[in-house]
Amino acid sequence: MKPRICIVQFPGVNCEYETARALDAAGMDASVVRWNRADAAIEDFDGFVLPGGFSYEDRVRGGAIAAGEDIMAVLMEQAARGKPVVGICNGAQVLVESGLVPGPAGQRIDLALAPNKGMGRDGYYANWVFVTPGPEPARCVLTCDLEPEEVLPIPIAHCQGRFTSSDPGLFERLDGDGRIVLRYCRPDGGTPKGFPDDPNGSVKFAAAISNTDGNVAAVMPHPERGAWLRQVPVDLAGPWSETRSSVRTWKDMEGAGPGVRILRSIRRYIEEHKV
Amino acid sequence: MKKSTMAVQLKGSEAEVAGTLKSVGVDLSPEEAHRIKELIGRDPTVVELFIFDIMWSEHCSYKSSKHILKRYLPTEGSRVILGPGEDAGVVRLAEVDGERYVLVVAHESHNHPSQILPVEGAATGIGGIVRDVYCMGADVVGVMDALRFGDPDGPNAETVREIAAGVVRGIWEYGNALGVPNVGGDVFFDRRYDDNCLVNVIALGVAKEEEIIRSRVPAEARDEPYDLILVGKPTDRSGLGGATMASRVLDEGSMADIGAVQIHDPFLKRVLTVATAAVLAEVAKRKISIGFKDLGAGGIACVVSEIVDRGGFGAVIHLDRCHLAFEDIEPHAVACSETQERYCLAVPSHFTEAVLRIYNDDFELPHIYRGARASVIGEVTARRDVVMYWKGRVVADLPASTITEGISYDREAASRPAGPSEHVRVEVKNLKRTCLDVLGTTSIASKHYIYRHYDSEVKGLSVLKPGEADACVISIPGTKIGIATSVDGNPRYSSLDAYRGALMTVCEGLRNIACVGAVPIALTDCLNFGNPEEPRVFGDFTETVKAIGEAAKTLSAYGTDEPIPVVSGNVSFYNESSRGTAIPPSPVVGCYGVLEDYSVVSSLTFKEPGNLVLLVGRRKRGLGGSALMAVMGRDGEGRLPDIDLEEEKRGIHAVTEIVRCGLARACHDIGEGGFFTAIAEMVLGGWGTGRTGVDVSVDLGDGLAAEEALFGEAGGFLLEIRPGAWERVEHVLEKYRACAWRIGKTVPGHVLVIRKGDEEVIRLEASEMHQAWIGSIEKAMR
Repeated sequence: MKPRICIVQFPGVNCEYETARALDAAGMDASVVRWNRADAAIEDFDGFVLPGGFSYEDRVRGGAIAAGEDIMAVLMEQAARGKPVVGICNGAQVLVESGLVPGPAGQRIDLALAPNKGMGRDGYYANWVFVTPGPEPARCVLTCDLEPEEVLPIPIAHCQGRFTSSDPGLFERLDGDGRIVLRYCRPDGGTPKGFPDDPNGSVKFAAAISNTDGNVAAVMPHPERGAWLRQVPVDLAGPWSETRSSVRTWKDMEGAGPGVRILRSIRRYIEEHKV
Repeated sequence: MKKSTMAVQLKGSEAEVAGTLKSVGVDLSPEEAHRIKELIGRDPTVVELFIFDIMWSEHCSYKSSKHILKRYLPTEGSRVILGPGEDAGVVRLAEVDGERYVLVVAHESHNHPSQILPVEGAATGIGGIVRDVYCMGADVVGVMDALRFGDPDGPNAETVREIAAGVVRGIWEYGNALGVPNVGGDVFFDRRYDDNCLVNVIALGVAKEEEIIRSRVPAEARDEPYDLILVGKPTDRSGLGGATMASRVLDEGSMADIGAVQIHDPFLKRVLTVATAAVLAEVAKRKISIGFKDLGAGGIACVVSEIVDRGGFGAVIHLDRCHLAFEDIEPHAVACSETQERYCLAVPSHFTEAVLRIYNDDFELPHIYRGARASVIGEVTARRDVVMYWKGRVVADLPASTITEGISYDREAASRPAGPSEHVRVEVKNLKRTCLDVLGTTSIASKHYIYRHYDSEVKGLSVLKPGEADACVISIPGTKIGIATSVDGNPRYSSLDAYRGALMTVCEGLRNIACVGAVPIALTDCLNFGNPEEPRVFGDFTETVKAIGEAAKTLSAYGTDEPIPVVSGNVSFYNESSRGTAIPPSPVVGCYGVLEDYSVVSSLTFKEPGNLVLLVGRRKRGLGGSALMAVMGRDGEGRLPDIDLEEEKRGIHAVTEIVRCGLARACHDIGEGGFFTAIAEMVLGGWGTGRTGVDVSVDLGDGLAAEEALFGEAGGFLLEIRPGAWERVEHVLEKYRACAWRIGKTVPGHVLVIRKGDEEVIRLEASEMHQAWIGSIEKAMR
């Protein structure tokens, strides 16, 4: 039976429906559930995704209001039982604001998603970038189906995507524990030499960070926007764009894109860690 | 209605009447006030004066333009379900497994508000245009923006840059937060927009044919009671007189119009959109008929009169039952303010409670946004009048048709002396330098600085994104259908020759659609001009409309001999400042195409060495209006290239077929900047990530000067063809008798080489071209 995924629809999110389509395409069964549905029995789902958008129009800070909604308490409890909770973009901001990432939940840890830096201007930045998994892909819900050193093109679209902290030791510890699960990289997998390979100035080029167990993860890039081959830009460097510009049938164009590599990891993680 | 104490006494001399009107705060002329008195046979109330003020404004009534548009533009066709007239046009896309998919499109300007408050003005431009599409029952799948700013290095540099930056910010802040992808646009910087920027916006929606909802009360209201529901932001004074402001010349006093610019809220709009989808799903499930319309110009008064009048009904409205932002607001403000993020629904009374529950309880509007909710504000009546009450008193009582009909004027049209009739000789001293200057022209240079602010991929539909090709392409999930979009306009052409400039603009749009192998199914036009009371301005307007009609009729869509219908649009007059500086004639044309199978599309970038390069379309004399003339400081001289629509059509249809058959590795249209710019961009790549070079020879026969062959802006195409596909391509070219030449090959080095015979005319490294092309827009906007 396909893993059942609950996509939490906070007021103002706007990626919930394509995220559902992408999760379905990656072999799961996703439902969009309104944030205030008391009757939804969300405990019955196998995993949870907080989609991108602008929940509560980023009042106070991105994700800050949604992080305080009742449904987050249920998600914390489900996460504690080992179920996957993935936050994409605004969803990542919600996980960071709620303390679920880096965790442990409830205990406030000094991690933030700050305004982008390094592109020579402020404001929103939307483009395709490249990411590669951390040293132990197998341990995280976002990467367990990836090859070590695999390079994936993937789109970002945000104003505040810079993982940072005022605690100088934090990223050393996260790095040491292999919890920086996706990093921005050059098209060949090498370490970025500044913008645009490093699109926002994240400490240690972090694109995604997980909790200790690896079942809860906050990812800034949008796997659902690279879930089908047709979404991959024609002229990027690397094998994904070469395939994109060489295929000629609709069936191939609707085939798996790089984002599906990440989404299939969610499915595999659920199958291997049945709660 | 018995003589109300609210009536405004309109008597005395013209000067006295003018004084009275001014004291009430409306823009109506004494003569118009007189016509109102005749029309309703009594003195109007304050609320009624405000209603006429708005409905008789140019913006709402098209009082100068409607007869011209009617005369020249084709608006019907086998695919057209709904032409101009309602909030958006509707055309059939394709049928897939019994589902009939339609495209819903609306095109408007938000020029004056953006000049006064750039961020808010542009944001509410997007906010307003998406409402026009949502209220047809469609989901918005894309927005586009055509922008015209002043000279970033001219006397108003500071203001110009502030406006340009603010407008782009308003567009991304709204569109990205609402979650609708940007699917293209264009930008021009020209001193003639110093005092009057243009912000033209387009929204595209997709629906299944049976999901389309009309902006009118359905016939069922004859047999059962219907309620009128207002949902969204609480009504305040914002945007009061917005339509009127859009219908007059901007002057120093215009900063006082700040209150006439609306305030945007994409967050509330997103929640309204999701909640409305739930309402419409319920409507479909229960198989009931409703009317649905967004609130725009003229607020509650306009939306109510239009939605009931179109259905042949009237209404009783209780203005004091609207949810209000504050208590001490006057009835005319409630009736006419243009508060954003509001919709009006006409639903059978038995369904009213369900609607209120979905908005107010399920999606908690009142909880998540102060004062927002859905309220019943009145009911539909058989009597065809709109009667408005405020605290028990009648404040307006007018026949619905009187409100919606508006008025019309016959403006004098003076044809101005046709543009310069002589071709000018231009001699380029340093060809290499000039090439780089042309690539650096803001209207040609890479637009990445703007579109990297825009979210083009939310919704996950993208196939070709801004910059990758001449048109953007999005898909409909689960189907092979692709929708291609392009928006075009060139003030340099239109100011030189309004008629031919408009022809070239339509051709450019159709070429862009052909480059991705799509078949054009509709056009939209936003016609931006100066003061129509000026005969020459109105003459240019008339010539422009004639030309758009002529091109739409002659350049029939591939595979048909039907005209391409103009299904939506907008006229924006009075784009000039009190200093008397009017904008150049600025038609902006949107062009939309359909692909039955989007998988044939490719980018404009040369893909690999060893392929053939094909030129389609004769190079012609005529450098007038060209980017070359602009960089040489001679803009306005010379004459536009001759244009033969039949020849254009043969080229466009041939290229469409070549791309549709998957025979093109890359395809790019020749337009602004001419042959040189097109081939240089194919080397650079749409996103500046090209890796393949090219080596071509240009035939400079027909007594063409090198400048004309390289930079002349006669329409055409460049294609990259694999040797193996050449025979089939030749066959297509013969079939359509298209003028085409094999001019060279793609090569390994990342370099552009253009030869004349054995002589090397141009050799440019991609790196030096990239440097000239990549940074201009950022330089102009910061």
